[in-house]
Amino acid sequence: MRPRKILRIGRWEVTKNAGGIDRKTAAVVGATLLVLGAAVPLVLAQGGVTLDEGFYRVGVAEESPLYPVVEDDPTFAVRDSDAELGSAIDLQIDGTQVVASDTQKGQAALAELRGSVDSYNDRVMAGESNQSAAFPVTVTLEYAERNRTIAPADGGDGTTGDGATGGGAGDQGGSDDGGGDGTTGDGGDGSDGGTTGGTTDGGAGGDGATGGGSSGDIGSIARGLTGSDAMTGTPSDISPPFPFQSLILAFLFVIPLNFVIQAYGSTMLSERLNRRGELMLVAPVSRWDIIAGKTLPYFLGAMVFEGAIAGAIIALEPGSGSGAYALLAVVPLVLLFLAATFLGAMFARSFKELTFVTVSITVGLTTYAFVPAIFTDVTPIALVSPLTIVVRDIQGVAIEPLEMAISTVPPLFTATLFFVLGAGLYREEDMFTQRSIPLKVLDSLAGRIRRRRSVALVVVLLMPLVILAELVAVAAVYPISMALPRELWLGLILLAIVVIEEVAKSLPAYAGFVHNRYDRTVRSALTVGALAGLGFFVAEKGLLIVQLLGGLPEVQQAAVVSAGPTAGISPMVALVLLLAPLALHVVTAATSAVGMRSGRQGYAVGLTAAIAIHFVYNFAVVMLVV
Amino acid sequence: MIEARDLRKEYGGFPAVEGSTFSVESGEVFGIIGPNGAGKTTTLKMLAGLIEPTSGSVSVAGYDAGETEMRRRLGFLPEESPLYEEMTADTYLRFFADLYDVPEDVAARRIEETLSELDLQHRDRQIGDMSKGMKRKVAIARSLINDPDVLIYDEPASGLDPLTTNYIIEFTSQLAAEGKTIVFSAHNLFHVESICDRVAIMNGGEIVARGDLDQLQAEHGETVYHVHATVEVPDSVARNGQYVRTVESMDEVEATREAASEAGGEIVDIRTEESSLEEVFLNVADGHDSRSRSDRGADAESGSEA
Repeated sequence: MRPRKILRIGRWEVTKNAGGIDRKTAAVVGATLLVLGAAVPLVLAQGGVTLDEGFYRVGVAEESPLYPVVEDDPTFAVRDSDAELGSAIDLQIDGTQVVASDTQKGQAALAELRGSVDSYNDRVMAGESNQSAAFPVTVTLEYAERNRTIAPADGGDGTTGDGATGGGAGDQGGSDDGGGDGTTGDGGDGSDGGTTGGTTDGGAGGDGATGGGSSGDIGSIARGLTGSDAMTGTPSDISPPFPFQSLILAFLFVIPLNFVIQAYGSTMLSERLNRRGELMLVAPVSRWDIIAGKTLPYFLGAMVFEGAIAGAIIALEPGSGSGAYALLAVVPLVLLFLAATFLGAMFARSFKELTFVTVSITVGLTTYAFVPAIFTDVTPIALVSPLTIVVRDIQGVAIEPLEMAISTVPPLFTATLFFVLGAGLYREEDMFTQRSIPLKVLDSLAGRIRRRRSVALVVVLLMPLVILAELVAVAAVYPISMALPRELWLGLILLAIVVIEEVAKSLPAYAGFVHNRYDRTVRSALTVGALAGLGFFVAEKGLLIVQLLGGLPEVQQAAVVSAGPTAGISPMVALVLLLAPLALHVVTAATSAVGMRSGRQGYAVGLTAAIAIHFVYNFAVVMLVV
Repeated sequence: MIEARDLRKEYGGFPAVEGSTFSVESGEVFGIIGPNGAGKTTTLKMLAGLIEPTSGSVSVAGYDAGETEMRRRLGFLPEESPLYEEMTADTYLRFFADLYDVPEDVAARRIEETLSELDLQHRDRQIGDMSKGMKRKVAIARSLINDPDVLIYDEPASGLDPLTTNYIIEFTSQLAAEGKTIVFSAHNLFHVESICDRVAIMNGGEIVARGDLDQLQAEHGETVYHVHATVEVPDSVARNGQYVRTVESMDEVEATREAASEAGGEIVDIRTEESSLEEVFLNVADGHDSRSRSDRGADAESGSEA
C-alpha cells in the first residue's frame, strides 16, 4: 500500500461525498450537531443524566443524624419517618437505626444509602479545618483478584441489624472491629464487608452506636452500612440501581459508530452498483490502496467523534482518566465496525440487502461492545468488550496492559480478517456479480485458496473470529448458566464452542470444493480435512502458548477450554495431551471434508458428525480434569 | 504494442473466451466484433488487466496486464459509463488525473483541451444531471486524462443518438490519427469498417476470423458482378432499357457475354459489388454456428496468430 495514494483517495472520497450533500442538508446537519454538542456539556454540568432521581423513598426524621445524608442525595425522596415500610417507603430510619423493606428495591436502597453515607462523610471531613485530624491515616488500597465470586446483598433479612454487619470483615479486613453499630440488618455476607471495613476509618468506629450526630457518628454508620461497597458477581446478581454511569458512557461511545457505518457501507456498495468502482480498478492503484483510502475518512471521522466525547467527559468529570486508554481501546472497535460493514457491503447485492446487513452489524456489534461494558464494575467478563476499557479509563480506574490486550487484540484481529476477506472480493469478477450472501461468503474464502495447503492458512486466519465468537458465546451463556446444573451449563458452553470451531475449520474447505479447487475424491477430502485440522491445531496451540505466557484470566481460559491441563503432569502425559487435540481436529475436519464432497447435504451430515465427535471429546476431557 | 497469447477465461467451468491469440501493432486500430456473448468484453477486460485470465497471457507496451506501469499507459472505456455522479465533470477528471499522478497544471490544461475538443457544455454540472451523451464524453475524457499510449474502447458509442455517435467515432478516428493504439469493439460494423485497420470476429468465445478488411472479404466475403447487356440473356432482369444479370464469377461473366453476342447484342457495363463487413460477419457467424463445438475446439488449438 502506498500512503500517498491512500491519502489522495481518502481526500477525494470526502470531496465526492461532499458533492452529494446540498447546502441546506449540510446546514441542517451542522445545526443539529451544534445543538447536540451544546446539550451534552450542559447535561454533564448539571450532574449528568439523573435517571434515578427520587428513586428510593426514605422515611427519616429531621433530627436523625442520617437526615442530611438522605437529603443531599437526589436518589432519595424524603418521606415521613412514620410512613408504612414497604408500601410507602423503601427505607425507614429511626435515629441511626435503618430498616429496609423486604424487597429487592429495599435492599438496593440500603446499598445506595451506604454509598451516600460514604460520600457524605468524605465531604464533611474535607470541610474540617484540621485535615490531619480529619484524615489521620493514609491508607493505600490494593485490590487483589479474587478467585471466587460472591454475590452481593445476599445476606440479611432486611429487618433490624444484628450489630455484626461489619464484623464479618474479620476474615479479610481484620481491622474493622467497630462496625457493629446496629444500623442495618443487611450488609452482605461479612466477607465482602471485610474488604471495605478494613479500609474505612476505624478510628471513628464505635461511637456510631451512640448516635451522637457528629461526623464520627456518621463514620461509624458508614462502616455499618458499607459492609460492602464493592459489588462482584454476574449481571443477574445486580440489584438496582442499575450501573447508569457505565450504561451512559458505553452508549455515548457506541452510538456514533452506528451512524458512521451507514455512510461507509453506502459508499462501499455504491462502488459496486452500476460498476462505478470499475474504473478505479483500472487505475494504477492497488485494491488495498482503494479500500484503505475509502475507509480512512470514516475511520478518522469516527475517531474524531469518539475523541470529542472522551474529551468532553474528561473535561467535565474530575477524577477521570487521561482518556488515552479510552481512545486506544476505541481504535479496534471502530475498525471492527468498519471492517464488518465493508465485508457486508461486499456481500450485499442492493441497498435493501445492505440495510439488512448494516442493521445486523449494528445489533450484533453493539451488543458485543455495549452490553458487557455496562457491567464494567461487576464482572471481569466485561473485558471482552473494548468499551469496558473506555468506561474504566473514563472512571479513572487503572488499566493493566494485559486487560488492554484481552479487550482489544481479538477485535483488532477480527477487523483485519474481515478486511482481508472483503478485499478478496474487491475485484472485477466478484464486485459486480449478483450472487447470494452465502455464496459470497464462500467466494471470499475461496479467493484465498489456491492449492490444498491454502486451506490451513485460511483456517489460521479465521482464528481471531473464532476467539471473538467464543468469547461472545461464553459471555452470553455464562449468566444463563448460573441457574443450571454444573454439567448442563458446562455442556452448553462446550457445545457452543465446538460448533463455532467445527464451522470455522470446515467452511474454508467447503469453499474450496464449491469452487472446484479440489478433486472430489476421498483421498483429496482427507488431505484437505487433515490440513484444515492441522491449521486449526497450530493456531489454537499458538493461542494457548500466549495464554500460558500471559496468564490470561478465566474468561480467556473458557475460550480455550479444550486445551487441557498444563501443570502438574508428566512429560509423556503432556505429550499425549498435546497430540490428542491434533488428532481430534484432524479427524473432525476430515469427517466434514469427506461429507462435503457430495455437496451441501453431505457437508451438513459431515459437520454434524464432526460436532458430535468433538463435543464428546471435549466434554470427557473437561469432566476428567475439572 | 499488445500481445495476447492463448487467452482463456472460464466462469464456473463455462468458457467465456477460448484460446484467443492476437497482436496489435503500435498505432494500429484493431476492431473486435461479434454477437452478444461472443466474449468481446471479457477479452477487452483481460487486455485492460481487469480480469485475470484462467490461462494464457497478455502484455501491453511490454508490461504484463495488471501491472501498475501498464495501467499508467492505458486508457480504458467500458461499455457503460460508471461515473461518480455526485461530482462535477471537472472534479471527476481531476480526481482521476490525481490517481494517475498527472501534475495539477498539466491535468488542468489537458481537461480543458479534451473537453473543448469533445465540445462538452455545462462542465460545472454534477455528472448525475448530465445527458447520456455528455456522460459518455466525460468518460472518454477520463480515458485520455493520462495521455495513454493504448486505448481500449468497449462500445464507445453504445446507446447514443446518431449525432453524438458520429461525433465520438470521428473523435476516435482523430485519436488514431494522432498515433494512439486502439482496440475497439462495436456492434455497429459500419463504424468498425470506417476506422479499424484490422478486425477480429469473435463468436462462441473464440476468434473465428481475423485480418484487414480486404483479407476478410477475400476469405469470407463474396464478390458479385452485375452484367448489363443490350439484349435479354438468361436470368437477367430488365432495368432502364438494359438487361442486368448478376453472377458470382468471371466465368459466368464470360458466359453472359457469349449469350448476349449470340442474341445479337453486347455487354455495355459490368459493375462489381463486394460484401460489406456486416455481410462478412454474418457469413462467418452463420458458418461458425453450423459447426460443431468440437470442431471449434480443434481450431482453437491450432489457431494462427493475427
